Amino acid sequence: MFGLIKTWKALSAMGIMGINRRNADYVLKYNKRSLYPVVDDKILTKQRAIEAGINVPELYGIISTEHDIKLIDTIIDTHRDFVIKPAQGAGGDGILVIADRFEGRLKTVSGKIVARSDLDYHISSILSGLYSLGGHRDRVLIEYRVIPDELFNNISYEGVPDIRIIVLMGYPVMAMLRLPTRQSGGKANLHQGAIGVGVDLATGLTLRGTWLNAKIEKHPDTAHPVDGVQLPDWDGFMRLAASCYELSGLGYIGVDMVLDKDKGPLILELNARPGLNIQIANDSGLTQRTQAIEGRMAECLAENRADSVEERVAFAQRLFGHQTPVQPL
Amino acid sequence: MRSINLHLKVLIIMLLLLGVSITAYQILGLGIPVTQDETDDLWSIDTKVTFTAIPHTPVKVQMFVPPLTQGYVSLNESFVSNNYGVSVNRVDGNRQLTWSARRAKGEQTLYYRLVMTKRFSNEKPSDEKGPVTRDPIQLPDGPERLAAESLIAPIRQHSADIETFISETIRRVNNTNDDNVKLLLGNDSSIGKKAQIVDLLVSMARVPLEKVHTLRLAANLQQNPELWLRSYNGKEWLYFNPETGERGLPNDRLIWWSGDTPLITVDGGRKPDVTFTFDSSQLNAIRLAQLTNSSIEAAFMDFSLYGLPLQTQQTYQTMIMIPIGVLVILILRNLIGLQTLGTFTPVLIALAFRETGLQWGIGLFTIITALGLSLRSYLEHLRLQMLPRLSVVLTFVVVMIAAISLLSHRLGFESGLSVALFPMVILTMTIERLSITWEERGANHALKVAIGTLFAGSLAYLLMKIPALVYFIFTFPATLLILVAFMLAMGRYRGYRLTELVRFKALLKDN
Repeated sequence: MFGLIKTWKALSAMGIMGINRRNADYVLKYNKRSLYPVVDDKILTKQRAIEAGINVPELYGIISTEHDIKLIDTIIDTHRDFVIKPAQGAGGDGILVIADRFEGRLKTVSGKIVARSDLDYHISSILSGLYSLGGHRDRVLIEYRVIPDELFNNISYEGVPDIRIIVLMGYPVMAMLRLPTRQSGGKANLHQGAIGVGVDLATGLTLRGTWLNAKIEKHPDTAHPVDGVQLPDWDGFMRLAASCYELSGLGYIGVDMVLDKDKGPLILELNARPGLNIQIANDSGLTQRTQAIEGRMAECLAENRADSVEERVAFAQRLFGHQTPVQPL
Repeated sequence: MRSINLHLKVLIIMLLLLGVSITAYQILGLGIPVTQDETDDLWSIDTKVTFTAIPHTPVKVQMFVPPLTQGYVSLNESFVSNNYGVSVNRVDGNRQLTWSARRAKGEQTLYYRLVMTKRFSNEKPSDEKGPVTRDPIQLPDGPERLAAESLIAPIRQHSADIETFISETIRRVNNTNDDNVKLLLGNDSSIGKKAQIVDLLVSMARVPLEKVHTLRLAANLQQNPELWLRSYNGKEWLYFNPETGERGLPNDRLIWWSGDTPLITVDGGRKPDVTFTFDSSQLNAIRLAQLTNSSIEAAFMDFSLYGLPLQTQQTYQTMIMIPIGVLVILILRNLIGLQTLGTFTPVLIALAFRETGLQWGIGLFTIITALGLSLRSYLEHLRLQMLPRLSVVLTFVVVMIAAISLLSHRLGFESGLSVALFPMVILTMTIERLSITWEERGANHALKVAIGTLFAGSLAYLLMKIPALVYFIFTFPATLLILVAFMLAMGRYRGYRLTELVRFKALLKDN
């Protein structure tokens, strides 16, 4: 019992945010329910992003009825590789990645041959709501296949690593690089077994990581250290994330981005209830940072002005960046 | 934000005050018992009178009914007697019921029903006083008188007061080897005759004695009135068993009438016969109070849930406990951090357990869910769309439940049958969600969630069926306002969940 109280106090002193605080003070307070469709539907997110001139993986086509399934041929005709996604899927389910063609047939990243009938069935399943939250009818999204930068080859196992930045009212709060593992099956979701690696907001240098709620410093599959990796174009990522507030209208979001070999930082999706394990990855609590941002917002309100994207990024980098370098465990 | 916070605080405090003050008023002001006393026995006594009417003569049936001076209270008294006039009179401390009709034909059946209970008659029964002395019964000179006098002499020697005198007399009269007793009894050694001899002997000492006829308060027992003797010693009545001399009337005896007159007299009828049926049921204190209408204001009763018909009350007793179940889930999820399937699925499962009991419920839940999951994973291979797939699973669940009912019936377990009411839709949804969780987050997580759901359901069920709690909330529904205040406060709880302390433990390792 005493141990628990001690743990409680220590976590509280570090400013670690719990689910109850996140829901009560941030998600409920800053995220208007009516705006959720913008983040729940990837097609809507993408359209908003395109309108705002934000980089996203190129949209090849949308299929919204069974009748339209035959349109797939014209959509993929000019593209050798592409990704098929449910618009309202969760946890990376229902995503089919076609990497190549083989004698007129399709081939996935792992080399599995996909017949045309399989492809049709997959699209039909997505439409019927197999992968959507709550089993609603869904739409199918066919888009550009992101090819991860070679930088990640050593610290990733299959799949595409992504970068999540938590953004409060347009101010970046904390960042994390998510690396797929053998256990996560190539998906970049922490609760499926992917690794989360903290990122210094000022420099884009990786810190130590978290895997299954524990701290780690090496990738379990490749045994390469995960810390000390310099992410390229870090300020680009920061600006991209910060501008997602204007795009979605949601005040507290997790912005998921990828680094494409050719196209640089791209926005994949937004999350209105970002997880809390990012705190373990960064070895730092969210609450102090969010409170600092709320203080800054109050100041701006008093001066009757709003920070621009650049000012917000600079503010976050000045306050939350340059974390103490990693000490060897 | 600040104004909302203030608003919330005011709301919480108002609800709290309202809930506490209404409950306090009910407890302190109206004096409603806080706990449900052990339920009281409620006796319903059916007296059936049959006789054959003599044609063309008026019929008059006189029968004694309990005077109810013994600390019993009558809740309801009814007479079922077509075409008969009914009147009840008090005669010498007895109550006599008279049924009368101008003419009747053939077999006649009359009913007298009394519903009574022991409690809520706080005023001491107004024991009417009896005589303390009387004249001796005069016997003509002869052997009987001699026998009586020789019997009385040793009794006087062996007794100190009225009580011991009477019991000594009874003891001696029951000693049938004694020649004097034999002579007095003649050939008749029935209780009635013995009581008569006892009466004779006691009268010689000028001690009054009275016959009382009692019935035992025992359900499902064929019985006839039992004879007891009693005497008034100036302060209280003393009761004696005429066969054993045993003193004191047992608690389960109900005095029906006293004196020498037979229970029933029928003018204009033949072969009268009286049978008694006793039946007991249980009733809680509140309901009794309402029936006797003595200690609690009727106005309150009109507005409490006790004013509803009994059938409806039972439904509400279940319903009013649902917020308790919800509260359990709220605490388990937001304070402890237990993961459950859906938000209120555990409450629905707890309600389902009411039909089956806990062990059966958990067993069935596990079996059906496990089988359903394996069916679901098989269907996964067939690549069905969601709605058809759900329909198949639901049908399967229904068939499973039917099969289990049949099997358990064959094996003689009756509780298997109650499963029929185990909500199938809940099971189907549980299977579906569990299987999605399984695919998305792995078997470990699915198992954790399933166990969490079962645990929360069981806990909610156990709390929801504590009789004292059910009584309290049902009697003082204002406590629900206190619950709401707590729930509102929980809506702003920002502290850690217990499981988060474990989850974030890694953060504290270096420091």
